[in-house]
Amino acid sequence: MKSVAGKVIFAALSVLYPALVFCGLVFWDISPRRLSLLLIGLAFVLFFNTTQGRRNAAGGAGTVQGNGAVPAGGEGAVSTGASIAGRESAANSLKDYALVVLMLACGGVSFFADSLLFLEFYPVLVSLSLLAFFGISLWKKPSFAFRMACLGDRRLQASPERAFVERYCDRVTLAWCFFFVFNAVVASFTVFVGDEKIWSLYNGLISYILIGIFFAVEFMVRKMMQKKMHSYIPVCELQRDSRPADMVVCFDGDSVRTWADFTDDVSKVRRYLEERENAPWILHCEDSYYFMVGLLAMLQGGRKALVTANRQEAFIKEIQKPGYGFLTDEPFAGATLIQDVLQNTESDGRWNTFDKDSAPIVMYTSGTTGEPKMVPKMFCQFENELFELVKVFGDDWVNRKVYSTVNHHHIYGLLFTVLLPTATGLPYRRHRIDYPSELANIAGEAAVIASSPAYLKRLAADAEGPIAFKTTPIIYSSGGPLPEEVARKCEGITGYWTTEIYGSTETGGIAYRQSKNGPIWTPFEVCKMSIGENDCLNVKSSYILEPEGFTTGDLVEIYDDGRFLLKGRADSIVKIEEKRISLPEVENRLKQTGLVQDVRVVPMVGKRQYLAAAIVLNADGVARFKDQPKLEINNFFKAHLNQFLENTVTPKKWRYLEELPQDTQGKIKMRDIQALFGLPESKNFRILKMHKEPGALSLKLVFPADSDFYDGHFPAFKLLPAVAQVDMVALLAHALLETPRAVQKIQRTKFSYPVLPDAVTNLEMTFKADTNKVLFTYTNEAGRMLSTGTLVMQAGA
Amino acid sequence: MSDLNQKIKEVIIKSLELEDITPEDIYDDAPLFGEGDRSLGLDSIDALELGIAIKENFGVSFSTVNEETKKHFASVNALAAYISANSPS
Repeated sequence: MKSVAGKVIFAALSVLYPALVFCGLVFWDISPRRLSLLLIGLAFVLFFNTTQGRRNAAGGAGTVQGNGAVPAGGEGAVSTGASIAGRESAANSLKDYALVVLMLACGGVSFFADSLLFLEFYPVLVSLSLLAFFGISLWKKPSFAFRMACLGDRRLQASPERAFVERYCDRVTLAWCFFFVFNAVVASFTVFVGDEKIWSLYNGLISYILIGIFFAVEFMVRKMMQKKMHSYIPVCELQRDSRPADMVVCFDGDSVRTWADFTDDVSKVRRYLEERENAPWILHCEDSYYFMVGLLAMLQGGRKALVTANRQEAFIKEIQKPGYGFLTDEPFAGATLIQDVLQNTESDGRWNTFDKDSAPIVMYTSGTTGEPKMVPKMFCQFENELFELVKVFGDDWVNRKVYSTVNHHHIYGLLFTVLLPTATGLPYRRHRIDYPSELANIAGEAAVIASSPAYLKRLAADAEGPIAFKTTPIIYSSGGPLPEEVARKCEGITGYWTTEIYGSTETGGIAYRQSKNGPIWTPFEVCKMSIGENDCLNVKSSYILEPEGFTTGDLVEIYDDGRFLLKGRADSIVKIEEKRISLPEVENRLKQTGLVQDVRVVPMVGKRQYLAAAIVLNADGVARFKDQPKLEINNFFKAHLNQFLENTVTPKKWRYLEELPQDTQGKIKMRDIQALFGLPESKNFRILKMHKEPGALSLKLVFPADSDFYDGHFPAFKLLPAVAQVDMVALLAHALLETPRAVQKIQRTKFSYPVLPDAVTNLEMTFKADTNKVLFTYTNEAGRMLSTGTLVMQAGA
Repeated sequence: MSDLNQKIKEVIIKSLELEDITPEDIYDDAPLFGEGDRSLGLDSIDALELGIAIKENFGVSFSTVNEETKKHFASVNALAAYISANSPS
């Protein structure tokens, strides 16, 4: 307590020092010798304060404050009137002792010489010591202004804006240094002018006014800087009054929803939930706003939220355990329509923060077991990731609007298109952008666009030229790799090199890249990479709860600096237009029908990504589909799968075979099945079996009676023309053995027996790459040779 | 009218690379999207592709997706009505 009194006395004397000296000289006619006692007294007070401050270092004895009004200003530079902690007292006390010595020296000289000169140096000393103090803090960071700012807002130290604020504070500290230099120079000048009036006018008034002006200017600059800063608040810490009531939360055309609407709507839904039994709720809302209202109501109301993009009836039935609610914005039997809740419930105005460590959310991805995989999360995982995202990308987002082309029920969409805007106070559009052509409509807006390769590929293919964005948009892509050429084209259209985010539902965001800098990924600072099981990437981060981290299915090469290169997926989970699907799951679902003996589902890439299914029917299946057109069979299996899977991941192409394509060891290779699907379905022939070895192919074929091949040839006695036989060999060799397509020469052909319509025919062929020759033999079911020959393929064609 | 429907069906099959389906297999009044007995069973990716194909073939574009546009995509008939109403020629 004593030290506080000491500080107050010292501060008061310091501020009044010029006035006291002036009055003493002019009005009270006190000699410089006696006045010098004031300075010596001040030195003792400072000495006393410093030793006190050292003794109770944690007690917050502000030695700096003691230096008078100027450092009190330093304190206000950024902080909001925080008291100075004694933390830095050890470093400061040295400087204070130096000041004490100087003050004693000046006082002593004044006393013995009875001279005014050294008495008047005191303000110069103060300025210089402050200059030293501020300057050293710039050199040995953190700077003084930033320390003060941290005291004013304790969250700052660990906030994502830290770097931004620190830069600003360093500049403020530097500006103070310049001011002290200026002040010291002018103050010494007033000493040497020798007129006490000028000296006391400057040091007792003008100097203080200048300090006041400095504060005012810095305050205005700071307000301007704050506008450039995002106002990040963790979602769980948002208060009802965290945002202005009229802040736009989201928009849709010209209609907007404000923060007041949002808080009201959340409390309505929450009240509705709390009036019901405490049970988990399934949440699916296409409208981002409704989704966010529903989610926050569940989080604040302590209800576990099951967030699902899939609202197929059979799937909902699987996850909706007894007592579970289902909140949605589209009519669904037995579900609660959020629009009805908002209309029929009175808001009770309640709103509260919640504990992020005990707020569960469940997300879904497809698993390998055949069941959709549930990924339980805690809200703190999202919060920690938001923090990291704001730290890395937040500065770019300021004053922008958020648009989306992706689904917010998946982790990337959830984070980027609803949670981030909510945490940073940016307005978002309630509905997705679906078409590439829509992008031109937002050319006038400063936009952040959360997108995906599916959309950007279409944008690259469809756009007629660059879009004249007023402000270059910021585009993110996640869900799958974005081909470099697509990123390049999109840059041509939008002016921005898409920032790709790599991550998964289990891990959240792991790394990011822009393809203009190559294919290497830069991990987020909190993500620690290592090589885990099966050479796959293992990640540990603040938003993965398991201490051992999570091992992805991606093969990886990690460089010394922590960056890494992805080298493909190691398992059978594939992505179809950003939707993750497990191939065994689709296969198991098909087997569930009881009509399938064997099946392989393979991913295909064409104009779009899709799945294709090669099926071997069992006896029941054959009996059931006897004489049915292929389309009917396809539709049967599709309808079955649609009960469980989204339309996008149901196979688009189907082949019904007697046996799955394999090699002589019976090994079924995905590449062979894909090659089979690479051959478009034709009414002219059907493949029933396929055995493949490098350079050799054996096929079981049927040439149906309604095939075009028979047109114009002996209508009464249909047989497969020789030219068709040769062309079939060339076609199949090209598609399945990867030979050139064009035939240069036909050698040693012999057509002994006709190939008959609808008869099972075997075709054997071998390809010799060195001679570019395909040898072929057609035989019938009984093994009789029908025709044989050699095709010399057009080299390089 | 039926000529336009036929053309639309051909565009659907060609642009979406549908296998095993001929124009005769597509009903004029059945839904194109979603599940159901008579539905063509297209998905959201197909919708984007089809929107582009229709623009290329008929010069009619869909600016935004809302309940309104979803209606136009409801069936071949609905598409034909939308195209003839909005066709530049």
